[in-house]
Amino acid sequence: MLDAALSSYGAQVVLATSSDENHPPENIIDGKTETFWISTGMFPQEFIIRFPDNMKIFTVSIQSYNIKRLRIEKGTSDDADKFETVADTEFEHTESSLQANDISVNVLNTTHLRFLILSGYDHFVSVHKVSVQS
Amino acid sequence: MVKLRARCVVVGDAAVGKSSLCQMFRSDGAVFQKNYSMNVGVELLEKSVSIPDTSDAVEFYIYDSAGREPFAEACENMWNQPSLMCVVFDITSEASFTSCSRWVDRVRSHCNGLQVPGVLVGNKSDLWSRREVDAAVAQSWAQSHGLEYHETSAKEIGQYEAPFLSLARAFLSLYQDQIQLIQSLA
Repeated sequence: MLDAALSSYGAQVVLATSSDENHPPENIIDGKTETFWISTGMFPQEFIIRFPDNMKIFTVSIQSYNIKRLRIEKGTSDDADKFETVADTEFEHTESSLQANDISVNVLNTTHLRFLILSGYDHFVSVHKVSVQS
Repeated sequence: MVKLRARCVVVGDAAVGKSSLCQMFRSDGAVFQKNYSMNVGVELLEKSVSIPDTSDAVEFYIYDSAGREPFAEACENMWNQPSLMCVVFDITSEASFTSCSRWVDRVRSHCNGLQVPGVLVGNKSDLWSRREVDAAVAQSWAQSHGLEYHETSAKEIGQYEAPFLSLARAFLSLYQDQIQLIQSLA
């Protein structure tokens, strides 16, 4: 169980396709829902989280806003150049609250998770917190 | 400081000057095509603009789309989830102005219900002696369709930028509104 901030465990966001210096990608893994990373226009968008060790992950929890279609992939090599889809899902639209979703992924052994946001309910989507259960 | 990215679809009848406008904007006025060359697909141009009085910028991905059928129809596949639209007509052609509502509907059908800021551009304003479309009529039509009206002559320096700047401002304001909304929820 790693519901705490992923960053305190040594995880890092090693790639993000948008960056507003007021809302950096590190906000995704700081364990807080008040801080967020926001996409700055167009789809798809993606970010990659790298873990310090090989991970066994059963569920990914994500708090977000305005994400429609999301695909999660696991890295299949150490240098993160090959990925394999582990979940492909569509979130419900929420208006007055953040989206909170648990996605079962059943990953036995990986160091990287890649999140591909394929479409949204707005031009701009935000990700507030990602945590994993293993 | 933020750099936004916008997919901007440019549409309108054939030969109204879409490509001239886009090329002048992209090249900061260095390239004005004197000879007509018909687009049979989508030409993709990339150009960043800084928004005056802010430290922000918008990177445009301009989809300059063919105006003539059947090429226009083939272009629609490329318009998935546009961020902005630019509808162009020729002020010396009433027919090209009449077509605008069809172009707006066509782009809107790809917007998935999202609010997509847009401009209406009356081009070739240097040909005022052959004008067929009254500026006031165009202005009020644009307003009723939620578009901002601009009159340009793509060949004159200092005119081609205004429509894109107004799109950039509108997109930044959507972004700021969205951040405010998200902050109120989190």
